[in-house]
Amino acid sequence: MKILVPVKQVGIIDEDYEIRDDGKNVDVDFLDYEINEWDNYSWELALNLQETYGEAVEIVPLTVGPDEAEDVLLNCLAKGGERGIRVWDDALVDSDSMAIAQVIAKVAEHENADYVLTGTLSSDHSFAATGMCVAGLLNWAHAAVVSKVDITPDAQQITVNRELEAGIEEEITVESPAVLSIQLGINEPRYASLRGIKQAKAKPVEVMSHKDFGLTDAEVGEMGSLSKVRKMYAPEHSQAELIEGTVAEQAKRIAEIVKELKGDT
Amino acid sequence: MINPEHDAQVVTRIVQQDFPLWMSVTFYLAAFVSTAIFFYGCYIQVRKYNRGQPFSLTHIKKGIVDMIKDLLSHRTLRRRDRSAGLMHALIFFSFVLLFIGTVTITLDYDILRPITGRMIFWYGEFYLWFSFVLDIAGLAFAIGLLYMMYRRKWMALPKLNYARSDRTQEEPDYDRSWYRFEDWLFLWNLVIIMITGYVLEADRLIWLQDDPTVWDYRWWSPVGTLFAEAMKSMYLTSEGAESFRYFLWWFHALTAFLFVSLLPFTKAKHIFTALVSLVVRNRRSPARLPITDATAESIGVRSITDFNWKQLLHTDACTKCGRCHEACPANASGFPLSPRDMILSLRELSNNTLQKIKIPEAPLLKVVGDGVNQIRPETLWSCRTCGACQEICPVGIEHVPMMVDIRRALIEEGEMDPAVQTALQNLQKKGNSIGENKRKRAAWTKKLDFDIKDARKKPVDLLWFVGDYASLDPRYQKVCQSFARILKTSGVDFGILFESEMSAGNDVRRVGEEGLFEYLAENNIKTLADCDFSRIVTTDPHSFNTLKNEYSELGGNYDVLHATQLVRQMLTDSQIPLARKLSKRVTYHDSCHLGRLNKEYDAPREVLGSIGVEIVEMPRNRDNAFCCGAGGGRIWTPDPIDIEKPSELRMKEAASIEGIDAFVVNCPKCMNMFEDAVKSTGSDDKLEVIEIIELVENCLADD
Amino acid sequence: MNKIMVIAEHRLGELTAATFEVIAAAVELKQTKGFSVNVAVLASNPAEFSAKLNIAGVDEIIEVLIQENQFQTDTYEAVINSLLDEYAPSVVLTSNSIDAWSCMPIIAAKRQCGFATDVFALNYDGDDLIATRAAYGEKMHVDLEFPDKETVLITLRGNTYKPIEQEASVPVSSFSAPSVNARTTHKRFIEPETTSDVDIAQAELLLSIGRGIENEDNIEQFEELADTMGFTLGCSRPIADNGWLPKSRQVGQSGKIVVACNTYLAFGISGSVQHMAGMKHVPNIIAVNTDAEASIFIIAKYGVVADMFEIADELINHFE
Repeated sequence: MKILVPVKQVGIIDEDYEIRDDGKNVDVDFLDYEINEWDNYSWELALNLQETYGEAVEIVPLTVGPDEAEDVLLNCLAKGGERGIRVWDDALVDSDSMAIAQVIAKVAEHENADYVLTGTLSSDHSFAATGMCVAGLLNWAHAAVVSKVDITPDAQQITVNRELEAGIEEEITVESPAVLSIQLGINEPRYASLRGIKQAKAKPVEVMSHKDFGLTDAEVGEMGSLSKVRKMYAPEHSQAELIEGTVAEQAKRIAEIVKELKGDT
Repeated sequence: MINPEHDAQVVTRIVQQDFPLWMSVTFYLAAFVSTAIFFYGCYIQVRKYNRGQPFSLTHIKKGIVDMIKDLLSHRTLRRRDRSAGLMHALIFFSFVLLFIGTVTITLDYDILRPITGRMIFWYGEFYLWFSFVLDIAGLAFAIGLLYMMYRRKWMALPKLNYARSDRTQEEPDYDRSWYRFEDWLFLWNLVIIMITGYVLEADRLIWLQDDPTVWDYRWWSPVGTLFAEAMKSMYLTSEGAESFRYFLWWFHALTAFLFVSLLPFTKAKHIFTALVSLVVRNRRSPARLPITDATAESIGVRSITDFNWKQLLHTDACTKCGRCHEACPANASGFPLSPRDMILSLRELSNNTLQKIKIPEAPLLKVVGDGVNQIRPETLWSCRTCGACQEICPVGIEHVPMMVDIRRALIEEGEMDPAVQTALQNLQKKGNSIGENKRKRAAWTKKLDFDIKDARKKPVDLLWFVGDYASLDPRYQKVCQSFARILKTSGVDFGILFESEMSAGNDVRRVGEEGLFEYLAENNIKTLADCDFSRIVTTDPHSFNTLKNEYSELGGNYDVLHATQLVRQMLTDSQIPLARKLSKRVTYHDSCHLGRLNKEYDAPREVLGSIGVEIVEMPRNRDNAFCCGAGGGRIWTPDPIDIEKPSELRMKEAASIEGIDAFVVNCPKCMNMFEDAVKSTGSDDKLEVIEIIELVENCLADD
Repeated sequence: MNKIMVIAEHRLGELTAATFEVIAAAVELKQTKGFSVNVAVLASNPAEFSAKLNIAGVDEIIEVLIQENQFQTDTYEAVINSLLDEYAPSVVLTSNSIDAWSCMPIIAAKRQCGFATDVFALNYDGDDLIATRAAYGEKMHVDLEFPDKETVLITLRGNTYKPIEQEASVPVSSFSAPSVNARTTHKRFIEPETTSDVDIAQAELLLSIGRGIENEDNIEQFEELADTMGFTLGCSRPIADNGWLPKSRQVGQSGKIVVACNTYLAFGISGSVQHMAGMKHVPNIIAVNTDAEASIFIIAKYGVVADMFEIADELINHFE
């Protein structure tokens, strides 16, 4: 059983930032990067399966991103797994979920994967679509927002819980092969020690381009995307009225506001 | 001294007088067997230590000299328990004399006599003095032992209660009754040897009362003679004495052989292990944790054989005296940690596995786990690495590095409290444990009405390494501002590293995240290498310790001062323009990292003294100061709410002092802990928590 | 005529509240561009649902008979595919639901439709549809366009459009579902444990705590504060995930939408997209957080940058 786990390096913007010259994204110089929170959970799930079933399970992390994105693979490989895959090409800049899914689907085919475990969404653009786009391209069975998984190697079908709205969950069976998008809280992701991350550098990471899988430039990047950014901008929201002063003053003001709203001043 | 009528040669004790041959032969056989068991036992122990990792000794000469000094002065035993120390001294020195005595007899009787055909020196005047000294030594020995029995039985010292704080009553290794049995076996065995020795001596005197070369000299054995007089008064005759003699003699001999053969297997082995432990100890290890090979396949201790031989020997040196148990802040607060119990668990684990002919399978060697004699993760994470245990240990056990070694393995496996995990991830990403953006690091400087020099761009005399908590904790930021104003007013040329400074890594290292420590240290060393400065100063004792002691191993050698050391020097040189003195009575809390770990007890006290502040010491001060509970990464893990935290225990200790108005600290983490504790213990109407630096600033002229 | 198709969603026998918001959005678009609004409902008893879809502005209700009432992703995919072939709508709208997350990307990927999720504003610039959504934890807004896409699939963020209350008699048609190879099988729904706990969705005054609480033992202080102030205690996801408060107290996408809330006091909540989906509509949000950059301050009416515990210590004195 082979499990492919696509992981993403997400950008986080801080208080000061600038918009890129074309107005379509934040200037990369103002982004801090880290592994997408959800992907820690999907990778942990893969690690747990690998630890339960040993050699019957192979787990491979994959990222679609530039050189710097290799950090997220190292973070994964520090925890387990023997090799990683990184796909990048300048043509992949500005890809949306769909364009990234094109690459992931090709890697899944190339690797003969049985399962693709993605995070439910990513904290930067929050489309919550990459995993299911992969399922669509592969025409595999799928489940989104999975909060519990029961997989055994070589099983024809697996049982998962989908987390729905308002605290309801749905238990379903899913035929293999399948794509699952994994929700937070499904497990407790472990810590990757810095020494582990350094040592993970010895593990092989295969670097490829979308062209290696027969994808054309038109199928990825902005051209291969299902939407195009017209512009990105800071929202014109009515900024919260800041209550300043000492803690005592702040608390007093909150009390006044609350009492006024409750109508019992 | 010797009656001229008596031939000095006959004034002696005839060894095995009138023994039939078979009895002598049996005796030597028994002696041989017990000695053989003893040496076999020693072999087993040495083989056990050898199954640990190699460890090369440095400073062995100094180690031996220090050990001899400690041994002769009994310094480590007298600390914080004078009477036990004194009594141990009685036992120890008399035991040494008695041992020398036995060796002397063996030398003359069993070695020289067979060669020369006669006793060479063990007769006459020498013999009489010999008898006298050993007789008195025996008395001292017995007094010491009886006190120890009294102490165990009637003083009911909490530190001698072996019930464990990290186990529940239902668990098999909860009260360890074997240890109590072993203690009593040890004491009774020695007491019986002693008493039967006197009785045997008395019996001989009565038996040979008609022989003037014996009877006339009886008072050279005063205690034996007292026994003899008492026995005589109970109508024991010479014949009667003769009939008891063989029984008594054999009983005495066999209890002594028992002692010899049990020695390597029981608590008695501390006679050897404690001495070696004191030779190999490294007093500085809590301040400068042993370095690891970061490129190794794995680091830290998972299996008992991952400890080095020195550490395995340490576990055998423990005499369960309980001094560490009493000093430990985690234990005092009811956390499932007693340094003694941890050492004893490791001892039992190593005895049960490494004393065997073949080392058992790997799972049985695992140090961390829920099983008998395994150490639980919650025990390990309770430690604050304050070093109080190691400081007071009379036999030189190094608890802190052992604790950290096991933590290193837990970190590698990713097993830790989620709060620690978050802090470490923050440190990986942002260089500080709080997860603040790097740019916020120098935000506290904005409230000053002057600019602080950027040490990265301009040369400075003094480079101020601010530290994580000092930079980002809102309460302590005020201290930073005070310190900046003191330096500015005093005309010091100083600067800071702004957002280029990262956590020094003290807590990271003590949590066991060695890779992250190296990352932080290497970054800071690189930043510092590009700066032009002559000395480093910091208000944070944690950064102080690590910059001063631990960066050198990674190539960073600096002249590092704690702020109180700098201020003391500046006050001595009248460099700080004091406008007034304060008339305050305060108590001063030694932070572990400045005090115990770096032995700087005086600078803060002298600073307080020179600004007119009177210090009333808490009962536990200086090397016995009680940790605030924040060290070793515990600042990141909130203490449960239903316990009395170390900081609260400490605050109560301070609040019980009458007539003081402040609790003075010198560390950002202590400040953080005690600001909470002063409120939660309801002491805030009486005491304020204040930093030394703030008091000094109060003495500057108002603008 | 160009069409806007709405996929009505239902669970456990009820149309979801969000479906009515989506219809409202469709009707608003219709008013600007003059498209027709066609609402499809897939069910084993579609008539039961279509009766409730007689909403002013809807032009057609399409009943699709399927075997099982609950959502099955392959079935929805196949039916919507057929509907797209038949009706060729320019826009397909659903709510931004978990079910939509499951099937809409599949259709988008296979047909290469225009596609965007979690959209909160739809506008036309000439003939170009512009969908607005957020990025970087609500700190940025993004206008998306869909050049050369004949059909655009959109999932709409909840609590953005107000349902239309006016009823109308809408013509109903039926559409036959294609055959489906269903690769997932419904086993059961697991409902949150019904407790005697209060329903936070119905509470007007809510005091919610988030990650800033740090430790289970600190919950008590805020329970007491909420009690004293006359507020109901809610929480963000991590608190419920840790089991520190029951799941029924969780505000947000996977918890409850606090529909009745008027005043929302957020302590130590940074404001994840998922949490804000459950409460951003509340008119009076007062947020207390140590991080001045926390997303919650973007939607809050009042912001307090301070230690939540210190504020709580002080605040309680004003209500005792």
